[in-house]
Amino acid sequence: MASSSGTASSRTASPGKVPTGGASVGSASPGDGGDGDGRPAGAVARVRRQLPTSPWLFAAPGLLVVGIFILYPFVSTVVNAFTDRRTLIPGEFVGLANFRELLHDEMFWIGLRNSTLYVLGVVPALVLLPLLLALLVQKNIPGIAFFRSAFYTPVVASIVVVGLIWVWLLDERGLVNSLLEAIGVGRIGFLSDQWLLLLSAMTVTVWKGLGYYMIIYLAALANVPRELHEAAAVDGAGAVRRFLTVTVPAVRSTMVLVGALSSVAAFKVFSEVYLMAGPGGGPAGEDTTLVMLVQRTGTGLTGRVGYASAISVVVFVVTVALMLLVLRADRKEDA
Amino acid sequence: MPRRALAAAVVALVLPLSACGSGGDDSGSTDASGKVEGDITFQTWNLRANFKPYFEGLVADFEKKYPGTNVKWVDQPAEGYADKISADAAGGTLPDVVNVSPDLVAPLAKAGLALDLDKAAAKYKKEYLPGAWASHEIPGTEGTYAFPWYLNTGPLFYNKSLFKEAGLDAAKPPKTYDELFDDALELADKSDGKVATLANVPTIEDFGRYGVELMNKEGTAFAFNDAKGVELLTKYKELYDAKALDPQALTATPESSGKKFLTGAVAMNPGSALDLGNFKKQAPNLYKNIGITDQITSTGKVNMYVMGVMVNAQTKQKPAAVAFAHFVTDAQNQMSFAKKVAIFPSTAGSLDDPYFTEEDGTDETRVRIAAAKSLKNAVNYTPVLFSEQMKTELRNSVAKALQGKVSPKEALDNAVKACDRLLQQQG
Repeated sequence: MASSSGTASSRTASPGKVPTGGASVGSASPGDGGDGDGRPAGAVARVRRQLPTSPWLFAAPGLLVVGIFILYPFVSTVVNAFTDRRTLIPGEFVGLANFRELLHDEMFWIGLRNSTLYVLGVVPALVLLPLLLALLVQKNIPGIAFFRSAFYTPVVASIVVVGLIWVWLLDERGLVNSLLEAIGVGRIGFLSDQWLLLLSAMTVTVWKGLGYYMIIYLAALANVPRELHEAAAVDGAGAVRRFLTVTVPAVRSTMVLVGALSSVAAFKVFSEVYLMAGPGGGPAGEDTTLVMLVQRTGTGLTGRVGYASAISVVVFVVTVALMLLVLRADRKEDA
Repeated sequence: MPRRALAAAVVALVLPLSACGSGGDDSGSTDASGKVEGDITFQTWNLRANFKPYFEGLVADFEKKYPGTNVKWVDQPAEGYADKISADAAGGTLPDVVNVSPDLVAPLAKAGLALDLDKAAAKYKKEYLPGAWASHEIPGTEGTYAFPWYLNTGPLFYNKSLFKEAGLDAAKPPKTYDELFDDALELADKSDGKVATLANVPTIEDFGRYGVELMNKEGTAFAFNDAKGVELLTKYKELYDAKALDPQALTATPESSGKKFLTGAVAMNPGSALDLGNFKKQAPNLYKNIGITDQITSTGKVNMYVMGVMVNAQTKQKPAAVAFAHFVTDAQNQMSFAKKVAIFPSTAGSLDDPYFTEEDGTDETRVRIAAAKSLKNAVNYTPVLFSEQMKTELRNSVAKALQGKVSPKEALDNAVKACDRLLQQQG
């Protein structure tokens, strides 16, 4: 804090950086004369007296919002991670005890495994499928707006409603199982088998995210020069080859962006798994993700806030690492 | 100047935050004597939707009885009620009088936020059933931390036609766990695994009703991993393997198992007298075949749920808060509430009222009378120190045993170990 405040004050005190009201505004004294723009000296002096604080006054509402709703909760989480704080008991500093306990907590490893599997299962699908979908609806043909809207519909639907509908579909006596039974396959425990449950939740995530990323890709595809496609076509490239040699390189940055966004979202998945696997996290809690574990451990009157904060810190570190990894890969390709 | 501005910004940032934190350091005195006056807030648990006129009348009566008092009634939804209370408790904004259950009172009492009524309101103790008053005692602390309010116990509903189809006598539903296990295996066998008898894994109340000792006498450690506990879980494993327990029981919630019962996928389900109306409306065919029986118990004592009304130990209006909490829970008001909804008063002698003893030929009355009768020796099997986190530990261990990943003994040993660790961490 000390170094940052020093930096901030030195910046605002630097007269040369202030763009308005004359070059020497920051350092002027009330007794100075006019500054040559024809305004009376007194008025300029007033302006000169007010200016150094006014940027802070303008920034104050934003600083308050950022401070109270972003920085304070974040810093509190990090601080709490080193305490044994509980909901109603402030707790004491315990050093790395929470993190050491994590290493021996079976449920933490289950959560880490499931969150990682979620990234591995969902991200490739969310990078590729929306791109293919965007290519399909890119053409300006009559009625295409209907399909664009239709594919976007899951994005605006409430995740709770979506979760409930998929639970009805995949229930032991739901529509999908009834169809499977009718064609002689027999009923499948989509919501009672640990792995099928996770896969079902991934399917819902992909289904719900398709439209969102499709829109991002549509914007990127609009910027791909048509001449490149035409030139490739003249050279005899078919649709697949044009996709691989023209479209993919042109939207590669967008693919990286989609990869980064979807991997962070996938690692922090909560709603889909919570709704489909139940608050307990599936049979024996085997489908619990890390964020579900944070919720389960840290809430309620007996919640272990310190321990839940330690898990949150791990989630934060992994997500930052994921972002860096994706962006670094992008830079390497650029180089 | 900029430095000062920055300092001001930091102060402005920190000041509101310093108001957060638990409680304050009110002395927490238990003295509730003095004039009953002032403004108090009363919080209920999901009761506004159906009982708004009752509570408005209650508040008006109290304000009339004690001029100079003003009660602000707030109601919170059922979902996330514990989280709302914990946020209020941590933020120092807990209402003066709060509707709670014993497991919610326990952490609040330990944090010094619940008023000890043995000290502040001992004179009212004799008005309540002894068991109900004792239900808000917290092991490890001295005192009683909430007025007992309404009691509830649910019958067990069963689908007579499913029983008949399996060749079972629908007039003789199971009463004990042994009878239940026999009937469930028969039902699964006859329906080729298509009809399960139960849709939920055993909970701590099941262990209690089976006769398992849940905690040691001192209330310092859990004990449900004894031979009897292992026996119960082994039986449930047998049911699960035979599909007498629904395959989705491992992830079921009370709501989802209720739906399974409505659709005839499950033959038995616990409920309350309120459910009858629901069956009539949503599943008329089921309603025609509905059987009502007592809870399954091998101890002879059914499980009861207790609601309480707690007084915030930090309240600035102790006399008014205690007087109002007592007013809400006194015999007259509990009886009047019981006539509006299927609950049972916790006040001494109320269950002898003709309303709870005389048949009028309807199913609703039959359920009410049977429940009132069973309440006289019912037990609140859920230990007050059994937190949500502990429920999850037990549920997960039970699921592992049912899946065959660990033996029932190992599963219960693990659950007890995890629950004991959480108990110690609660302080």
